[in-house]
Amino acid sequence: MTAMPGAPLDPIAPAEATGLPNQRGGTLAISPWLTYAGSRLLQGLFVIFGAVTISFILVNMIGDPASVLAGGQLSHEQVANLSHQLGYDRPVVDRYIAYVGGLLHGDLGVSIRYGTSALGLVLAVLPATLLIVIGAISLACAIAIPVSVLSVLRRGSYMDSATRRTLIVFQAIPEFWFALMLAMVFAVALRWLPSMGFTSPTALILPIIAIALPLVSSLVRLLRATLLDVMASDFVLALRAKGISDREIVVRHGLRNVMSPFLTLLALHLGWLIGGTLIIETIFVWPGVGTLLVNAVKVRDLPVIQAVVILIAVATVILNLVVDLLIMAIDPRIRQVRR
Amino acid sequence: MSVGVRSVRSRGRMARLSRVVWPRNDALRTSIIILIALVVFAIVGKLLLVDPTKQVLRDSYLRPGSPGHLLGTDPLGRDILAWCAAGVLTSLAICALVVALSMLIGVSVGLVSGYSRSWVDHGLMRITDLQLAIPPLPLFIAASAIVAGSIYSVVILVSFVSWVPYARLVRARVLVERERGYIAAARLAGSRTWRILLLHLLPAAATEILVLASLQAGTVLLIESGLSFLGLGLQPPNTSLGYMISVGRTDPVGSWWVVVFPGIMIVLLVLAFNLMGDGLRDLLKADVEGYSR
Repeated sequence: MTAMPGAPLDPIAPAEATGLPNQRGGTLAISPWLTYAGSRLLQGLFVIFGAVTISFILVNMIGDPASVLAGGQLSHEQVANLSHQLGYDRPVVDRYIAYVGGLLHGDLGVSIRYGTSALGLVLAVLPATLLIVIGAISLACAIAIPVSVLSVLRRGSYMDSATRRTLIVFQAIPEFWFALMLAMVFAVALRWLPSMGFTSPTALILPIIAIALPLVSSLVRLLRATLLDVMASDFVLALRAKGISDREIVVRHGLRNVMSPFLTLLALHLGWLIGGTLIIETIFVWPGVGTLLVNAVKVRDLPVIQAVVILIAVATVILNLVVDLLIMAIDPRIRQVRR
Repeated sequence: MSVGVRSVRSRGRMARLSRVVWPRNDALRTSIIILIALVVFAIVGKLLLVDPTKQVLRDSYLRPGSPGHLLGTDPLGRDILAWCAAGVLTSLAICALVVALSMLIGVSVGLVSGYSRSWVDHGLMRITDLQLAIPPLPLFIAASAIVAGSIYSVVILVSFVSWVPYARLVRARVLVERERGYIAAARLAGSRTWRILLLHLLPAAATEILVLASLQAGTVLLIESGLSFLGLGLQPPNTSLGYMISVGRTDPVGSWWVVVFPGIMIVLLVLAFNLMGDGLRDLLKADVEGYSR
């Protein structure tokens, strides 16, 4: 996926990069987009299918789900009854086919604890989780971009090395511990902010800060390294020769060039971001997917656990697809390489 | 000829490796100092301090600096200092086991798949796609509904996912390396496949594997403490630092020391592993970007 500025260009490519009409007809110009999006979509479907299978295997891996549910507190007869009631006494393959069939109709099973649709439960809490994830990504970008630009402009300075050392320490801090410390200081001791539930908009502040922290350090590390690479390239030398200041070079040319690795890293980190969010949610008693999942695990509400895992896989696939298409839109070099 | 060049280069690498004891690299030095300090603390603590799992309800919620309990006690009267010392040992043991297990699986799969480029390779790439798409933590949380909370189940659970980066890294190295002249020469000389894999291809990827392992150790620790914090990982009598933080969580201001000190232990351990990974990466010039985490 490395961009190859020196690679021989396809005759149609320049027209496409600049958006001009080309001689071979208009359809050709979008076709790389479509084929690429199509192949990624297929890949995504495969991944979702994998997630479905893995979550199904996980739930059925250790013996009979009914006895897992009972937790050794029911008699053999009762377990057998429960097993029959929930349909767990059918052969595994049958159940798998029935499960996948149900999925195709949007049916992810019924929550054992609440007796309502598992999918409905997850979808009901999803907006609250999305809110803090999007908030955390925005906050992390808002901090990471200026910090890394400053650090590149003053590279080798005291500020630059101090930033790098701080970030290394930040990367070692467990999110849940940091979240607890935040809650201890700002919610319990100072009483400035609420620490439990989603009662007011100010309740967003602490969870968002806690989730953004690890993201900031990896984003700054990546941005700093790639910006430094760009600053060492020939076109920057040419810009300098033209008398353009370093600040303008970084802001107008450098940032545009690091956009695609930046988005790629963001996509790679989504998984960790979601994982961190799940833990942080339980600390702030946030009514989101994480709290739902951990509570479902504690009472062994298997359909809800499966639904959460599948939903997270679907969300990750969609976000990755969006990021890939964004990168293609931003960076014309990648459009050529990937065609 | 390329055989000769390689062996000289790998000897150079070994010489650089041997300088690990006192390397000319700030990150690595800091990491070694922190690790030695923590290990000494853990061993001395194990020998001299009270049993960390012993509950003395009379001594619950003692403040730091109380006689006999330097860092105070938790709600059940367990000594925090002793728990921290034992927790460091538990964490190190888990890191070592997970890294060893996932390295063993990942490196073998990567070697075979990169060298054979058959259906094994194809299958591996699909698993890699899956691993990149399904965030591991929800999977761990889901899996811990079923698996009991002993050290071994946590190790197997985490290794279940963490072998994939090794496989991808080794495969990528092998795909490049297998086209080199010395591999063709070895094959021509009649070397068996396992010999080529273990004696020629494995050393070619060794430095990258080492760097990846030290970077991964920190991540493993964060996952374990996160799981134990949620009550889904290790449970007493295993002395997990994450578990102790979850104990202090119920009343964080009344007993801040129960949360703060085990957390500092985790930060120091993860910091040491990350610094070691960064330092080794710079020292050995091994690029593992895009594989770790």
